[in-house]
Amino acid sequence: MAELSRPGAARRPLSGEEVTGEPVATPSRRLDIVGRRNVFFAISLLIIVPGIISMLTRGFLLGIDFQGGTELFLKFSQPANQAQVEAVVASENVNGTVQKGANGTYIVRTRALDPAQQKKIVDDLDSKVAPIDRSQIQANQVGPSVAREIVTSALLAVLAAAILILLYLAFRFRRVRGGWRAGFQFGGSALLALLHDVFLLTGIFSILGKVLNLRIGEIDSLFLTAALTVVGFSVHDTIVVFDRIRENLVLSDRLGASRLTFEQVVNLSILQTAARSIITSFTVLLVLAALLLFGGQTLQGFVLALLIGILSGTYSSIFNASQLLVVWRKVQPVR
Amino acid sequence: MHYLLSWPVRLLVVGLLILSIAVDGAGYIQRILNHQPLTGQVSGMPPQLLGNQVYIHRGLDLQGGTDLLLQITDVPPGRDMNQVQRDTIDVISKRINKLGVSEPVINPVGRDRIEVQLAGVSAAKAQATIGNTARLVTTKWVADANVKGGPFPGSRPQITPLTSEMLTGADASLDPQNGNQWVINVTYNSQGAAIFSQLSTEAFNATCPNGATDCPQHRITNWLNLTQDDIVHWDERAAQLTLPFDQGGKLLVDARIIQPITGGQSQITGNFTADSAKNLAILLNSGALPGNLQVIQSTEVGATLGADSIKRSLAAGVLGLLIVIVFMIFFYRLPGLVASVALLFYAGLTLAVFKMIPVTLTLAGLAGFILSVGMAVDANVLIFERFKEEVRSGVSVGAAVETAVGRAWPAIRDSNTATLITTGLLYLAGNGPVKGFAITLFLGVLVSMFSSIIVTHNLMALVVENHNAEHSFLMGVTLPLRRGRA
Repeated sequence: MAELSRPGAARRPLSGEEVTGEPVATPSRRLDIVGRRNVFFAISLLIIVPGIISMLTRGFLLGIDFQGGTELFLKFSQPANQAQVEAVVASENVNGTVQKGANGTYIVRTRALDPAQQKKIVDDLDSKVAPIDRSQIQANQVGPSVAREIVTSALLAVLAAAILILLYLAFRFRRVRGGWRAGFQFGGSALLALLHDVFLLTGIFSILGKVLNLRIGEIDSLFLTAALTVVGFSVHDTIVVFDRIRENLVLSDRLGASRLTFEQVVNLSILQTAARSIITSFTVLLVLAALLLFGGQTLQGFVLALLIGILSGTYSSIFNASQLLVVWRKVQPVR
Repeated sequence: MHYLLSWPVRLLVVGLLILSIAVDGAGYIQRILNHQPLTGQVSGMPPQLLGNQVYIHRGLDLQGGTDLLLQITDVPPGRDMNQVQRDTIDVISKRINKLGVSEPVINPVGRDRIEVQLAGVSAAKAQATIGNTARLVTTKWVADANVKGGPFPGSRPQITPLTSEMLTGADASLDPQNGNQWVINVTYNSQGAAIFSQLSTEAFNATCPNGATDCPQHRITNWLNLTQDDIVHWDERAAQLTLPFDQGGKLLVDARIIQPITGGQSQITGNFTADSAKNLAILLNSGALPGNLQVIQSTEVGATLGADSIKRSLAAGVLGLLIVIVFMIFFYRLPGLVASVALLFYAGLTLAVFKMIPVTLTLAGLAGFILSVGMAVDANVLIFERFKEEVRSGVSVGAAVETAVGRAWPAIRDSNTATLITTGLLYLAGNGPVKGFAITLFLGVLVSMFSSIIVTHNLMALVVENHNAEHSFLMGVTLPLRRGRA
C-alpha cells in the first residue's frame, strides 16, 4: 500500500485519535460500539427471528412472475363498480381475483391465460361494466414452468455472487496479519452481515404479505431486483468499514508495544467511517423518496424493499459486520 | 495517485466531456433542424454515429408494446432443434415485417424458446400474427368402421405427406371462374406437385364401396392446423373441426376430385371474405412453422402507460439528482459543488454510454441508473470525509486532496468491485427486468468510479491550486487551514 508509506502517514498514524507512548486506553470509551455488540446482535435477532418464523410457517405472497398466472392492470374511463367487475371476472372461470386501485384502476389476477384469453376478459369487462382505456392496459402472463426457472436462476445467481464476493474479499484482505485465514474471516463476516440483511428483508416481506395480508409484501421480480441491490449495497457498506480496519491495523502495528488491540482498532474504524455510512445511506434514501413520490403504484413495493434493505445494510455494516469479525477472531485466533 | 493529475488524463477527461455532449446533444440538434421527432428511431434519417442513429432505446414498459416468450412444441421427432429454432425465427420475422413495427426484437432463448418484443402492438394482435401456425394440412379419407360421427360416418381423415413446407406460393384472388368469390391459389414445389398428383389420381380412381358413385374416398380435404391428435379423437371433435376455420373450426376446403391434378397448382375455396383470404394467404406465404408455438410468458403495456412511466421516472431521476446536489453543496460547500459538477459529468457520460452501446432502458433499468447515482455520490463522500479528516489533522489542503483520494481508493475499488460482481452475475442469470437493472447498474458503477477518482480528483486539485482554498467556510472544515501543498 504505497500511500501508507508516505511520511505524512507515519506522522499521523490514527487520524483524530490521540496516540501517546503510554499503553493506549480504549479509544472513545463513551462510544464503545464493539463492546456492546451483544445488544446490537439482540436488536437484529429481535427483528429477524419473527421474520424467519413467518417465512417457515407462512411462506411468501408470491407475485405472478414467481407463481405463474396472469395479471391485468386495467383503467376504466368511466367509474366502474367493483362488484360488477368481480361478477364478470367470476363468470370467466379463470380463478380470478379483483383488486381496486386508485383512479378507477383495477388489478385482475387469474391463472395463466394466453393473450387471446386475456383479450376476451378485457372485451367482456369493456362491454359489460364500463369502457376500458386500452392505451393504459398492462398485462403480464407467466407460465408456471417459467416462474420456477426465474426463481432457480435468481437463487443460483445470488449463491454464485456470494461465493465470488467471499473469494474476492479473502483475496483483498489476505495481506492482513493472519494471511488468507484472516482474509476469509473478513469475507465471511461480510457475508454474514449480508445474510442478516437478506433475512431481515425477506422476513419483513413475509410478514407483510402473509401475516398482514398486504399486497405490498408481494415477492416478484422487482422484489428480487431490490433484494439483489441490497446485497450489493450491504457488501459495499461493509467493505468500507473493513477497508478502514485493514488500514488501521497496519498503522497500529507500527506503534509496536503500544499498539491497539484488535477490538480497539475495529471500534475506531467504525467510528471513523460511521459519518460516511450515514451520509451515503441518507442520500440514497433521498433518491428513493423521489422514486416513491413519482414512481407510481407498481414501484411502491420495490421502493419499500430498497428502503428496508438499505436501512438494514447501514445498520449491519456499523453494528454487526465488524462485531462478527471480532467474535470470529476470538473463536479462531490468528497468530 | 499523482499521475492522475497529469495533462494526458486531463485531456482524456475533456475529450470524454466533449464526446458525451456530442452524443447526448448532436442527435437532438439534427432532429430539431430536420423537424423530426426527438425520440426513437426515425426511418430515413442518416446515421449519426458509427452507422447508427443515436437515441435512448426505450424498453417496452416505457414505450408500450408486447413482450412474448414462445415455446416451440410439437416438433416432429428427429428434427435438429437449433435448425427448428432458426426456421421458426425466420418465419416469425417474415410475419412481423408485415405488421410494420419499428425495431422488432426476435431472439432465441435456450434451445426451444423465442422471445419477441414488439413496440406498440397489443398482446392479442402479436399472438394472432406470430402464433398462427398456418399449417396447411391435406388429408385423404380412409374407411374406418369405428367412426360413427362426423360428416362421413365410416370414414376417417388421414394426414398425407403433403405439408405446408412444400408450398412455394399462395395468393388471394377473386375466383376467375365466377368472379365474386375469394379464393386462395396455392402452388407446390416439384416434390409437393408429385405428391399432389399422386393423391388426386388415387382419389379420382378410387372405387367406392357397394358400387356407389360418390364416397369420401373421392375427396381430398384441406385443413388449417389439423393435428394427429384431432384425428385420434375424431368422433368427439368432428362436429367442431368441420366448421369453417373462421368460425372456430379447422376446415378450409373439402373437394371432390373430378380429374387428376398434375400441375402442382391447387385452389382453396373456403367461404372467404377479402380480408380473411388475404390474411390466410399471408400466413401460408410467410412459411410454415416447423412446430406449434405456445405463449408461456407475455407482458403487455399500453402506450400512454409507458409514456406516463417515462415522465414519472424522469421526474424522479431529475428530482433525485437535484436533491443530492443541494445536499452535497449544503453539506460539503465548495467540494460539494465540485462533486456536483463531477456528478453531472457522470450523468452525461453514462447517458452517452447507454446511447452508444445501445442499452435498452426499462423501468428497472432506470432504477439501476438512479442507484448508481447513489454509488457515485458515495465515492465522493468517501473522498470528502477523508479530506476533512486529513485537514483536521493539520495537513495542507493540497496534500489533503491527494491523501484523501489515495486513502479512499481501496474502499471505492473494493466496494464497487463487489457490486460489479453481483450485477455481472445478475446480467448473466437474470430474466427481463433483472437483466435491465443489472446492465445499467454495472455500467453506472464503472463510470462512477472513473468520475469520482479522476474527475472529482482533478477538479478538486484545480480548485485548490488556483483559488483561495484556505477559506475554511468554503471547504466545510472548521479548523484553520494553510495554503498550498505540503
